[in-house]
Amino acid sequence: MSPHNVVVLDNGGGLIKAGHGGECDPLVVVPNCLYRPPSSKKWLYPNPLNPTTTTTTTTVEPSSVTEVDLTSAAVRRPMDRGYMINPELQREIWAHLFSSILHINPSNSSLLLTEPLFTLPSIQQSMDELVFEDFNFKSLYVADPPSLVHLYEASRRPDGLVSRAQCSLVVDCGFSFTHASPVFQNFTLNYAVKRIDLGGKALTNYLKELVSFRAVNVMEETFIMDDVKENLCFVSLDVPRDLQIARKPGRENLFRCTYVLPDGVTHTKGFVKYPDQVHRYHSLADDAPLAPTETKEDMNNTEMTEKPEDRRRVDLTKNEFDLTNERFLVPEMIFHPADLGMNEAGLAECIVRAVNCCHPQLHPVLYESIILTGGSTLFPQFAKRLEMELRPLVPDDYHVKITPQQDPMLGVWRGGSLLASSPDFKAMCVTKSEYEELGSARCRKRFFH
Amino acid sequence: MDDEVSNSLRRMSSRTRKVAPKMAAALASSDNRTQAALARLEALENDNAGIEAVEAIDDDEASLDDEDQVFMQKKQSKGTKRTTRQAKALEARKAPRTFLELLHEANLELLPPHVPSYWKAAVGPPSSTCRRHFCTVCGFSANYTCVRCGMRFCSYRCQNVHNDTRCLKFVA
Repeated sequence: MSPHNVVVLDNGGGLIKAGHGGECDPLVVVPNCLYRPPSSKKWLYPNPLNPTTTTTTTTVEPSSVTEVDLTSAAVRRPMDRGYMINPELQREIWAHLFSSILHINPSNSSLLLTEPLFTLPSIQQSMDELVFEDFNFKSLYVADPPSLVHLYEASRRPDGLVSRAQCSLVVDCGFSFTHASPVFQNFTLNYAVKRIDLGGKALTNYLKELVSFRAVNVMEETFIMDDVKENLCFVSLDVPRDLQIARKPGRENLFRCTYVLPDGVTHTKGFVKYPDQVHRYHSLADDAPLAPTETKEDMNNTEMTEKPEDRRRVDLTKNEFDLTNERFLVPEMIFHPADLGMNEAGLAECIVRAVNCCHPQLHPVLYESIILTGGSTLFPQFAKRLEMELRPLVPDDYHVKITPQQDPMLGVWRGGSLLASSPDFKAMCVTKSEYEELGSARCRKRFFH
Repeated sequence: MDDEVSNSLRRMSSRTRKVAPKMAAALASSDNRTQAALARLEALENDNAGIEAVEAIDDDEASLDDEDQVFMQKKQSKGTKRTTRQAKALEARKAPRTFLELLHEANLELLPPHVPSYWKAAVGPPSSTCRRHFCTVCGFSANYTCVRCGMRFCSYRCQNVHNDTRCLKFVA
């Protein structure tokens, strides 16, 4: 069996990453949902994002140029809290994916599918039914995301600690939730996995709520607010200081940013009004807790010469809103869910608890091989902040090393592609005939999780 | 008749099944503030802002013109149960169950204590109980609590905004 007959499908709550095994990047990255704009009666399939530039949606493939207006679109997702709860919807989305986008014939391909940790048996069963009975795949392998991330990272740096020690701590901060999972010799130590019930979706919804209360009602605008979050949010390195700065009026406020909502006539996508505002907070990044006033004055001067005075006025005729402290208070929730009223520990503590569940001899290695993956780790300064929070919690004589993945959204898929091209992949799969003979529960025992 | 009774019982249980055990405990305490806070957290996982509204429209598309009537019908159907059993079965099949319902059905509590499961993977409460409070109006650190609903605000101005917009919604 050549690896090209293996379809690798990372079925995430937010995005499906799909492609052929053995390749370096997925062929297609497509939102795992159906949406319905207010103008339409039917639920539509979303357009694939360009796989290499998922973060900055620039040019979409020519095959899908029908640019759609996503304003106020309702969404239906087959996943709830990261788990597949609606097999019918998932079948529709997969059918479209396999036939119209990937152009594959499931009955002569194998499937490598990712499934979140601790998937309930009932959900596993409906997944198996979907794969074997609805789509007739030849064989199936179900992998858990952390082990794939570990596999990929270990293969990237054969001399690195991850591959020498055969051990890493994968922090996957995705769309639905955040997992800290120790991986040892390609197996996820599931007794040590810790989860925070916060992910990109909750953050987008939180941002929606804040903006809707403070400025414009955007409760319906899931896609636009996703864009706002991706472009404007960042992780603060010093929250009290940044709150002080965000309070300042006018130009001294390094965080104020204006976002223009689509008007449906001249532009159907929202955009940041003054792109130079977005990165102004970087001038603070390396400073001591109290930002020196000189640099800020420099900023002011340059701006004074650049732009006229009335730049800060919000134009009410256009639909736009300002973001200030929301930009960093939204991602802040991953580090302090308690602020939101959730009775859950933050990410740093989550990591410590996951490590403490492992054998003591693994602790130093795990702290030194933390891998960040998942779309929500793309917030600027995420790794830096995590290290700042983690360092005081870790014993002095251990090193803390946090490695962000290069393309955190695709990391799991790449690991899957690697696994699919390994020689013994075929032996690990469950074939359709085995499934028919033994049923779902017995076949699942083969995957060890 | 017997069937009716069991049906109504089932309806009751499906109502409680929607929430996780911890949340159910909090709900039973009938504390408005915790309820509001939990509802707010639940809302963070919603796909659409007004998911109920969307579904209501889907159901009675015929009588869309008069919203009040639709609403009345809805109310009535809740009380007197005018939908047929078949329609209800169809609806039940149509509406996918939420993850929390499936979770409850899986009875993970019955697993022996050494088996890792969804519940055991939860990170658990933070070690320090101190919580930073942000103003619900403007987002800056908030020193004051609303005496009526318990939400936070930072200044007199924000208090006024809060009273005018958010306050009574949660208590009433």
